[in-house]
Formats: sequence, C-alpha cells, structure tokens
Amino acid sequence: MEPQRKRWKGSTYGSECGSDSWTVYPVLSDEQSQDVELVEAFAAPVVNKKETSRLLRELSSLYPMSGLQHIKRVRAVKGSPQPLEVLLCLVSDAPHMEILSIDSLLPSGVKNDAFGEPFRVKIPARPPLTRPQFEQAGKHWPTSFHEDKQLTVALRGELFSAPQKARMHAYMMSAVTAAKAGSELGMEAVGAVVVDPSTEKVIAVGHDSRGDHPLHHAVMVCIDLVARSQGSGCYSFDQYATCTFTPPASDTSQSAPSSLPYICTGYDLYVTREPCVMCAMALVHSRIGRVFYGTACADGALGSKYKIHSQKDLNHHFEVYRGVLEKQCEDLTSQEGFQRRVDY
Amino acid sequence: MGTEKSFCPSDEEIEKWMSSAFDMARDALQNGEVPVGCLLVYNHEVVGRGRNEVNETKNATRHAEMVALDQLQDWCRRSNLDVSGVCERTALYVTVEPCIMCAAALRLFKLPVVVFGCRNDRFGGCGSVLDISSAVLPQTGNTFKCVSGHRAEEAVDMLKTFYKQENPNAPKPKTRKE
Repeated sequence: MEPQRKRWKGSTYGSECGSDSWTVYPVLSDEQSQDVELVEAFAAPVVNKKETSRLLRELSSLYPMSGLQHIKRVRAVKGSPQPLEVLLCLVSDAPHMEILSIDSLLPSGVKNDAFGEPFRVKIPARPPLTRPQFEQAGKHWPTSFHEDKQLTVALRGELFSAPQKARMHAYMMSAVTAAKAGSELGMEAVGAVVVDPSTEKVIAVGHDSRGDHPLHHAVMVCIDLVARSQGSGCYSFDQYATCTFTPPASDTSQSAPSSLPYICTGYDLYVTREPCVMCAMALVHSRIGRVFYGTACADGALGSKYKIHSQKDLNHHFEVYRGVLEKQCEDLTSQEGFQRRVDY
Repeated sequence: MGTEKSFCPSDEEIEKWMSSAFDMARDALQNGEVPVGCLLVYNHEVVGRGRNEVNETKNATRHAEMVALDQLQDWCRRSNLDVSGVCERTALYVTVEPCIMCAAALRLFKLPVVVFGCRNDRFGGCGSVLDISSAVLPQTGNTFKCVSGHRAEEAVDMLKTFYKQENPNAPKPKTRKE
C-alpha cells in the first residue's frame, strides 16, 4: 500500500483565523502554577540603620532560618521613620511567650534596644519558580528569584515567533482536518499530528477511531502510525484515508545510522483536544518531545485532571502547551460546532 | 461497576489463572521484553492473553494488558457477543500492577476487577504512582476493584532480572551530568 503524504496548503489563512488569532501558553507543573505558600514569622524595625549588618550577623547565628534561603532578611519600608525591617525568626522557632516582646525573642547578647516593636508577618515558604509567583511572593516579603527567562516569556504567551506559530498553525490545521474526517465516519471529532521538529516533517496524521475499538483514540492511532513509519506497528488504519504516516524509506538521507528514530523521542504531537489519562501516559511511554493541544477537556491528563507530563516518579517528562488554534479545536468538541459544520 | 457485588475471583481461580499469567511473563522475558503477562477470563474461559511486546512492535503502548484487550475484542466479535456485556463479567489477572495507561484502558473497557502480583513503583496506575483505578473520571469508563499481592516477590524478581540486562532497543544514553 502507498500511504499518502501530507500536502501543505502553506500559510494562506486569512488574518481573522490566522496564527495571530490564538495564543499558546505552557501547561506548568503544580509547583510552578500554585499560589505562594506562606509561613508566619516575627519581624521588627531597625532603629539605627547603620547597625543593620551587625544585627543581621547576630540574628542569623541565633535564628539561621534554614530552608528559607530565598527569603531576604531585610526589607525597605517606604515613608517610614524606620526605613528597614528585619526578620527575627519563624513563629515556630520562637520561644514560648505570654506577650510578644523583643526581650523574649532575643536572649542576652543581642542589643535589644536596636529594634522597634516586633510584629507578626507572613513570608513565602518556598522559592518562587515563575515571575507571577515572584510577584505574588513580593507582596508579602521580598525574596530572591532565579528567573527562567524563557518561562517568563512563555507565560506571557510570547515564546514562539511568528514563523514558528505559522508552522504550528499548519500542523494543527491538519489535525483539525483529520478530526473532521473522523467525525464524518461517526468517530469523535479528535485529530492528531506527529511532527519531527528537527526536519519539520510530518511523521503521522491520525484521527479518533473508537467506533472500531474503544482504545483507538487519535493519540493512540498516531503512536502506532509512528511505529509503522519505523517499519513496525501492530494495526492497520489503511481504511482511513486521513490516517497516514511518512514511509520510512523516504527518509534515508545523510543522517547517521545512529540517529535512527526510537519510538516518539524528540517528536512533537499536535492534538485538537487535551489527551485523556491513557493517551497522556502512552505519550510518556513513547518518550514524546512536546505536546501542543487546542482545547482542554474535563478528564484531561495534561493539565485538567492530572499533569502527567510533570508527574513526579515518572521517568520521562515533557513540555505541554495549550491554545494552538483554540477556537477551531473548541468548535470540534462542542455540539454547536458540529451543527455549524453540518449546516455549511 | 458490576451489578452483582459478589463478582470476585475465588482463591482457586486466582491461583490457577495467575500461574498462566506468570507463564506469559516468562515468555516476555525470554523474548527481551519487560516480563509482564496477563489473562482475561470470562465465564471460566480465557478470552484474551498478552505479554509485553513493545520492542517487537516499536509501539511503547503494547503492554500485556493492551494486547489482551485486543484479543478480548476479537473474541467478542468472533463469538458475536457484546463487548461491554462480556467485560462486565471479566477479570484481569496480571503479574504486575497495571500502569497508568493500562489502568485507564481497563476503565474504558469497564472491567470490574483486576488481580495483580506486585506493585509497579515506576508506572503503577492502581495506587503506586497514581490511583486511576478508583479516581473520579466521569468520561473515562468505570472504576475497578484490585486484588493484589499474589506471588508478588516472584513478579518483582522477574522485573529485576530484566532491568539488570540493558534494553538493547533503547538508544545509548548520552553522558549525563548526575
């Protein structure tokens, strides 16, 4: 049999539905996306600014606040007669006391009159991992921040250049087309495309086929089509004109034999709808490089119900982005979208 | 979920079918595959059996359970029986806890009960890494019951034997900074 190669229409999409009509955002781990966790501490103003460094030395030997290296011990307070405040200790490390006072917090040895009235304050318990977390943390108490610049750009939805977005648009368009073809055969309207980003070549295109087999979701179909592109695999989707793969023979260029593809290593997957638990874990087993999806779904395992791509204990993790061609992908899943397609 | 809550394999059944599942696992080991074997039993009849065949197919989803579920599907077709009707009364016997993917697949097939040998700390989907077997996932089939621990040590030993050998199909790891 002769599988068809995917033909590209190029970037001929109108601007109203072109690659600037959607924004792609990273799907981060819980650690990266959760709210800042806080822990209670005692702080006090410094009476004489010039004594600050000596006081800090004494405080850090008295209360090292270990595990909170990201916390700045001093903060500046604008418009106050005492412009600096220092952290004395965590509430949990403080000695028992009836009334909050400097004397009960600082035993002899430290010059107690160097501090103003102590007070309780909530400070960030963990180092911020993203700029939003850093900004949120800073509202409570200043922290240090080792910024991942790429992540910051990604969170603004600006990680990919216009030419990159145009390519992503074309790949997802092809997944949308596959989804529609599947849906016309009575399958769920989900499509997927596997791409080798190093060559920008489409390796496989597939659509949901669960009418034949309850496990033949679009992603599972694509994983087997990739196996077929490597001369193996265990199913035939030849009856579906839109389920295709790039035959292995066509890619014996100068690339070294050692770089033979191994399952989905280094490949990108574009899928119209967020994968379910089975598909997400299948992508872990297949060592997928990155996943881009259009729209989320309730039982989804790459962001909604689970974040299997960043699940601790698993031996492979990958980046996930959502929002590629979001509108078109959403239309596929909603009944309304289905109706609209039928009416046209 | 099964209509009769009593649908649970007896000790004798477990003994008998797990022994066959171990034979399948041994076959996988001899063929350079991760040694996991399983059986799907409906009405005292084996309607699917499988062992891991990932390397053979270059498809990383070809776990024993997935292979056996394909057979069950074919068996129902041949016997002219409704898949969901059969699954309702089918138990899976597998040497190792199903992984997250397989646990979700078993939910989608609406299998009510899974008997397994040892836990799967790397990928387990029935409590070890995630608990897909009992999670609230309204669009992902039904929850299922697990019976675990039968010949667990033997199952672990087989896995250890496998992981001691290098997977000849995996690419050589690049020198990693530890």
